[in-house]
Amino acid sequence: MSKPAKTHKIKMMEEQLAKKLNRQVVGSLVGCVHCGMCNDCCHYVLTHPDDPKMTPSYKADQVRKLFKANHDWTGSVFPWWVGADKVPLTDDDLDTLKDIAFGTCTNCRRCTINCPMGVDTATLNRIMRGLLTNVGVMPEGVRVVSKDQWELGNQMGVLKEDYIDTLEWMSEELEEELGHGGAAIPLDKTGAKVMYAINPREVKYDPRTIKEAALIFWAAGENWTMPSEGWDNTNFGLFSGDDGLGGACAKREYDKARELGVDKIVISECGHGYRSTRHEGVNWSGEAEPFPMESSVMTMLRYIKEGKLVVDPTKNNQRVTFHDSCNNARSCGFYEEPRELLRLVTTDFQEMVPNRAEGFCCTGGGGAMSMSEYTPRRLKSGEIKANQIRATGAEVVVTSCHNCVDGLGDVIKHYGLGCEVKQLVDLVANALVIDECAVMKNRPAGAPRPEPPVVPAAESDVAAARVAAVAQPLAGRRILVVDDEEDIRTFLVTVFEDAGAEVMEAADGDECIERAATFKPDLISLDLSMPGKSGVDAFVELRKTPGIQEIPVCVVTGHPEFRQVIYDRPVPAPEGYLNKPVDEGKLVSYVAHIIEIRDERAN
Amino acid sequence: MATFEQGSVSITVDEDGFMMEPEAWNEDVANALATTEGVNDLTEDHWKVVNYLRDYYLQFGVAPMIRKLCKQTGFQLKEIYELFPSGPAKGACKVAGLPKPTGCV
Repeated sequence: MSKPAKTHKIKMMEEQLAKKLNRQVVGSLVGCVHCGMCNDCCHYVLTHPDDPKMTPSYKADQVRKLFKANHDWTGSVFPWWVGADKVPLTDDDLDTLKDIAFGTCTNCRRCTINCPMGVDTATLNRIMRGLLTNVGVMPEGVRVVSKDQWELGNQMGVLKEDYIDTLEWMSEELEEELGHGGAAIPLDKTGAKVMYAINPREVKYDPRTIKEAALIFWAAGENWTMPSEGWDNTNFGLFSGDDGLGGACAKREYDKARELGVDKIVISECGHGYRSTRHEGVNWSGEAEPFPMESSVMTMLRYIKEGKLVVDPTKNNQRVTFHDSCNNARSCGFYEEPRELLRLVTTDFQEMVPNRAEGFCCTGGGGAMSMSEYTPRRLKSGEIKANQIRATGAEVVVTSCHNCVDGLGDVIKHYGLGCEVKQLVDLVANALVIDECAVMKNRPAGAPRPEPPVVPAAESDVAAARVAAVAQPLAGRRILVVDDEEDIRTFLVTVFEDAGAEVMEAADGDECIERAATFKPDLISLDLSMPGKSGVDAFVELRKTPGIQEIPVCVVTGHPEFRQVIYDRPVPAPEGYLNKPVDEGKLVSYVAHIIEIRDERAN
Repeated sequence: MATFEQGSVSITVDEDGFMMEPEAWNEDVANALATTEGVNDLTEDHWKVVNYLRDYYLQFGVAPMIRKLCKQTGFQLKEIYELFPSGPAKGACKVAGLPKPTGCV
């Protein structure tokens, strides 16, 4: 039986694919050896173990077949072997592809970071989504939202007057709660330092987070504004694979920020919004990175560190756990900051396992919340997340992403977990000790605000100690830095000392053992590759020697491939493992975290 | 697409439990849908919210902004959440027979 001729749409998809082939994409297309490592990483595979169509490699193979058939020599020499003879031909095939690309993957990238070949399966799946979107094949929910975002400038079709009306409403409520004026949300304020961009969900359905953010900016004494346009930080271009839409959405924010002359865009807690605005949008829109952009998580943390905000964690006494948004944690490498902030504003934080870059998807990623047709499968895949949440015993799941708020909400309801979902902005706003924040301390004489009540000295001292603890997270700690390269030792010593630690150096394995015994550090930062006694040997000796075997070790190495070597030793694994070059902020928070865990265990 | 049945109520819903045929809505349907959102007894306050959402949807074809809902019904934002624990988008709109709101919700 002869095959049907390719349809026009299929030909268009092939043409479009040719434009997407850069070195990284081709690497991912040819690099897969179908080893199956990605299977254990995917929440769809783990919850549908008998369905081979859930495997990440199967999903990526859909693009791979098109590539092999049109661009790779293997496809012309032995097409039957590389799947090049099974390319889609009819428009019915496109519906099947749509269900695979949109309905069996949330583009969470957990398979990607765990692939030994470095294959970026999530990018391949996004490319397939883009090829389909380009020929008009996409879930209805994605189509509707993309249209609103193209035509009305935001994904929920909110009109400008309704948006402004809502900001005014929140301003009134905030001032009413504070009992005085002066805290209204500044709209389109030229010369403000910070422009705050939000998720339309906040303005359309749940503006409580807008009010909380306004309270925080006001309390910190920030010169900030919300824009009348370009305020939507979300981006369905990321989900649909349409780079054109992606660039258009991001550019609206950049253009407005330029018009207002702000120094910085602060992006409210939205994972894909942060990734799209801060990272991808710059590429899609072809703009050089116009100005600094940061997540509001960083902003809130900095305000506390700078003493502009003072918080009382006992106001958030429930047990909380943290869910990492895929876009924040895996795609943007941003996971220590929310934890640091969470520890400052809550009293009982229980880590979910696995976490950070290894955390599982909330099930709502990749635009899944807008595609009801795939909800049953999505909820089934949520069993993994549900079990993890249950294991923490948390009453509140905290996350820094609106999509995750809804995805987790569905999982919690479906599995009867009975917990609440909150964002950091909720917890920070609730923990504020307003009378000690910058706005009250720095207010000009004769300003119409009420006098702050006199705070008892003891409480002020506690607050000051809290701020100091944040500014110098390693104050009072002793750290032994082991590295044979003097430059690196100097760098590490400086970073740790700046963070308040007392530091001693060692240049090889023998010195490490000797100084660990005499200096009694709280943590050893250990290089692996050193002349004489290597770091690996020193590590084993440390672990076997009574008196020093309990000291936490953070490996800091230029050889990531040694990871297996060290984890295979028959001694307890190191508490931390960082690859060089090391980011100093990450290093400090990571090390502080390891020491904190040790303290918690000791208590 | 799925069928939601409870007592004498039998309606077509999407996979998230929102009505596919909003014209089939009536008070019995609202009562039945409310039980899926943790509301077992629709009080007068609930009906005020539901009826407003319903009227707005029939007139404009979309769900109203929460601002409009609060302004017109006189409820505070937090009262809406007390009435409908899943919130206005997923809770109240579902009970009022609206289709699932579009976008990241």
